Amino acid sequence: MATIPPQAKSKQLRACLLCSIIQHPMDFRKIGCPNCEELMQMKGSPDRISACTTTYFDGIISVIDAEASWVARWQRTSKYVRGMYAVRVKGRIPEDVEAELESRGIKYRPRDQSDQD
Amino acid sequence: MSDLPDDYDMQDNSEVVQQEEDQEQPAQRQSNAKSRGSIYDTLDDDGDEDDEDEDDEEDEEAGREGGRKRAKHRHRRHTVNRFLDVEAEVDTEEDEEEEEDEADGDEFIAEVGGEGDEDDVNRRAAVNARLDRRERELNDQDLAKIAQNLHERYGRAAVRYTGDMNEVPQRLLMPSVHDASLWQVRVKPGRERDIVFSLMRKAIDLEYSAQPLSILSAFQRDSLPGMIYVEARSAQQVNQACKGLVGVYPSRGIALVPIEEMASLLQIKKQDLTVTPGSWVRIKRGKYQGDLAQVMDITENGEDVGLKFIPRIDLNPRDDANVDGRKRKKAGASLTTMRPPQRFFNYEEVVKVYGRKQVSKRNQVYVFQNDTYKDGFIEKDFKLNALQLENVNPTLDEITKFSRGQDGADNENPVDLSIIAEASRKAAIAVLQPGDHVEVFEGEQSGVYGVVDSINQDVVTVTAIGVDIDGQKVDVPARSVRKRFKPGDHVKVMTGQNADETGLVISVTDNVVTFLSDMSMQEVSVFSKDLREAAEVGSGTNVVGNYELHDLVQLDLQTVGVVFKTERDSFRVLDQNGQVRLVQPHQISMRRNSDRAIATDSEGHELRVQDNVKEIDGESRKGRVLHIHQSFFAFLHNRDILENGGVFVTRCRSLASLAPKGNLVKPGMDLGKMNPTAAGGAQGGMVGSGAMGRGPRDRDIGATITVIKGNLKGYIGIIKDINGTLARVELNTGNKVITIDKEKLYRRLPDGTLQPLSAPIHPKGQQRSMGPPPAVASRTPNPYGGGRTPGWGGGRTPNPYASGDGKTPAWNASSRTPNPYADGGKTPAWNASSRTPNPYAGDGGRTPAWNASSRTPNPYSEWGGWGSASPARPADSSWSSWNAPTPAAAATPGFLSAPTPAAYTGAPTPAGIMNDPGSMSAPTPGVSGNDEDYDFGLVLRDPLIANKKVMVEIRGSSDAGWHDGDLEFKKGYVSSAFASLSEITALFHPLDSPGGTSIHVPTIYLTPIQPEEAQDHALVLRGSHKGDHVVLRDSAGPGVWMVSKFQDPVEFTIDEESLVKLYHV
Repeated sequence: MATIPPQAKSKQLRACLLCSIIQHPMDFRKIGCPNCEELMQMKGSPDRISACTTTYFDGIISVIDAEASWVARWQRTSKYVRGMYAVRVKGRIPEDVEAELESRGIKYRPRDQSDQD
Repeated sequence: MSDLPDDYDMQDNSEVVQQEEDQEQPAQRQSNAKSRGSIYDTLDDDGDEDDEDEDDEEDEEAGREGGRKRAKHRHRRHTVNRFLDVEAEVDTEEDEEEEEDEADGDEFIAEVGGEGDEDDVNRRAAVNARLDRRERELNDQDLAKIAQNLHERYGRAAVRYTGDMNEVPQRLLMPSVHDASLWQVRVKPGRERDIVFSLMRKAIDLEYSAQPLSILSAFQRDSLPGMIYVEARSAQQVNQACKGLVGVYPSRGIALVPIEEMASLLQIKKQDLTVTPGSWVRIKRGKYQGDLAQVMDITENGEDVGLKFIPRIDLNPRDDANVDGRKRKKAGASLTTMRPPQRFFNYEEVVKVYGRKQVSKRNQVYVFQNDTYKDGFIEKDFKLNALQLENVNPTLDEITKFSRGQDGADNENPVDLSIIAEASRKAAIAVLQPGDHVEVFEGEQSGVYGVVDSINQDVVTVTAIGVDIDGQKVDVPARSVRKRFKPGDHVKVMTGQNADETGLVISVTDNVVTFLSDMSMQEVSVFSKDLREAAEVGSGTNVVGNYELHDLVQLDLQTVGVVFKTERDSFRVLDQNGQVRLVQPHQISMRRNSDRAIATDSEGHELRVQDNVKEIDGESRKGRVLHIHQSFFAFLHNRDILENGGVFVTRCRSLASLAPKGNLVKPGMDLGKMNPTAAGGAQGGMVGSGAMGRGPRDRDIGATITVIKGNLKGYIGIIKDINGTLARVELNTGNKVITIDKEKLYRRLPDGTLQPLSAPIHPKGQQRSMGPPPAVASRTPNPYGGGRTPGWGGGRTPNPYASGDGKTPAWNASSRTPNPYADGGKTPAWNASSRTPNPYAGDGGRTPAWNASSRTPNPYSEWGGWGSASPARPADSSWSSWNAPTPAAAATPGFLSAPTPAAYTGAPTPAGIMNDPGSMSAPTPGVSGNDEDYDFGLVLRDPLIANKKVMVEIRGSSDAGWHDGDLEFKKGYVSSAFASLSEITALFHPLDSPGGTSIHVPTIYLTPIQPEEAQDHALVLRGSHKGDHVVLRDSAGPGVWMVSKFQDPVEFTIDEESLVKLYHV
């Protein structure tokens, strides 16, 4: 379960570039990304937060039942915690994270819908 | 027992308990879940406390991870448990030990309570040592566990991420029939995000309630305003979820999204707005709103964009703002006042205004008010969403400004048009039309040119011209095609700032076409995409908003100007001070109309709009008057002047008419002609006379003339029109209109005599005053004889009451009734009509004054007592009734008339009807044989004397042969006098036939009768008492009488000569 930002209107809301979860930057700082903190290392690091998250996203999904939801599956977030996710996130994860993913053999899918297959 | 030691012991005891508990843990871990949990809790709590060090707010944070929350809670219970016996009941396994401890504690306390011996000290030391050891062991254990725990946690997360989710192709994720459906729900626009969030919170709140939400997810897209999508198995579930949420309209239908459209809802992709360094953007908000900026760099996450643009520095800041640079006032002021113009950063200028301290320099960069300036440009970071990336359409002007740089000098590469070309290429597709000449400038077909055949989306079919593929149709991408123009083409600008300009192409460089504008004769450079070939020669549109070219417009209270050029949405206006302004339609308060404005030119002639004039000084410019402002400024227009579209402003006083003024007959403006006096009373010019409309006409128009010279000599005709010295004459013969010099025309009088047109008419007895057509008037003597009342020409008074000669209100007023309606029934006009407001008039001739009893004070009559007979009774005269003598006079013999209102006294008594027109030429009073040293007729006409019934005697008529002298020496009284053109006549009532015939007698035959004895009533003819009605009191010597005013005891003397006897009954 992710932290649900208190205000939907807040322009500060940020979306994780990797898992697209939307949180308040304060929450990113305190607890990091609930899904991919291991890679992103955002907790307590404003610099990392600004590098790994963005305010430039479009569409908000509230994932209530991640396992059963087709929307979550389509967004590839069904294994992630419940919470608010962005439909589309502009930008790519920092290169070091991308390299780390590559080294682990994980395919990186940018969330800007640039490569749909 | 004191509290303090007890507390201490309690604490100590619990420590021991914990230590023992810890000791047991390794063994117990597998079996005792609870113990393990508490250990974790301790560890976890340590972590939490670290967090708290970082951030005190944590406790306030809502929605923390549930597990941790619970852990913390348990931990707190644990610490509390140290002080509570309840703890024992929780864990049965620890009961025994705790009981032991309790026993120990009791014993210990008892010992302490007893006496402190060495045993006690030793024991304490031992306990402390054991505590330390245990603590160290625990720490070691902790580190290992932390590591293990971390690994467990995040290792699992990483595994989760590496899961197959990323490897599955998107197409395999397409929804199937087994998946829940998407339902579209209408919501209040702008509340989509809130509602999606609300649904999430609602789902969490109700998760463990009796009725949890059964929806799976909900989402919103920015590009689909007013709706959200909810994933659920049924509409009913959606309804349930949406119930109670503000801004959701389930009543407007919950629509099922077809399964094939589900994916596309999540695939909606906004136009990808890519920003690349060097591209152009516009700033959406703030001081620089709408300004063009060039992208310099972009941050890694694409949120912030470094821009370079032309700054707008306020070089005239408010005084209070720049003194100490207080931002408070500045911020407020800058919002309200106009924004400063775009201007390159100039160090010297800024320092001069803001002071040296405000600007610092680092390397090549200036820092001023937290902004950096380089090469004159401001360099600033903007958020991406504060920028307009689409439809930037930079204009050539803007680009040129950019490239020109700070110093204003052209750089080596004046315009890097490729950048704009790129930006404008997309737009170019939209402006292509079949029939356009295009050329392919890139790609395989580069160089081919032809005519656009058809356009299908982004593909243009071009019929090639020339080379070897002539006539073939080629499909090319629209973006690779540009309109083609060649020098000599006549083009028209379709869009942009220069829209509607037309001109001849001079040169073509890539996609920039330079043409010579038809309108301004200046070279204009535009993109070829904005051009079309056009045959028309546009003058541009002359109308913008409600205003058009050459309108006189009010700019502000003091300023007016004339529009001399209309641009796309603005005007160039020349104001009265000769300054040119660029104004928007909204800056114009109104259009002014100067059609009727008149000014005087340098020669004192009137100057009107549309006159052709020239300056008498300065540049001697000629022009046509467009507008006159305040009779002082004249706006002139001359096509030959290039400056300001040929419009210039000058002072009326320095203008002279180009047209010869001698010929200028300004209709309606010759005041002299409107003055009846000046016109000699010849022209009917009074208001309402009907002649007014013809007032401006030349007086000779309509005259019957005879041509006296030239080949038409002897012809008779009528002047139809006069223009300067030329007259248009309609000849009686042949119905022919000729134009002939006025010199050759003589007026033809009714008797056939001729006289020059310029000769005065009246001495010849022309009855011009009778009516508009003099010729007619002269031939048909008007029975009303209006013309014979001098100075009272019939044409002047349309008053129906005056239609009869004698029926002027004035002299009806001799009945002392100022009411003109009170006249006797002899004026058919008012008798016939019932509209007279006068209630007294109902009974015809009876004026109230007379009807009133003599003893009743009458407002109309101060001498009411004098009235004894109805003045209305028509005199049984031999004269026609309407021409009858005034009834008042006739019926009130000897009445001492009250003063008539001055306004009316001017109205003379009608002269008798002179059937013989010839009599009109009777000698004028001035040349009469009367040897009085003054003209008694004029005296009778005097307002103070008139209508007073003075007694007269007819003298001298026999000498003149008037009535064969029959009436010589007749005595009587005069009731009124009339002036005609030639003589003054008086209405004479002979004494010997009271109530009988009254006749008109020329005043030259009348001599006043002087009073003879005391108590006679007399009128003073001369001196300071002139007009006074006096009563002779006593003789004051030879020829001098002591008199007093009637009803006034004050006596004075007066010369006998100055008195005339008044008639009385």
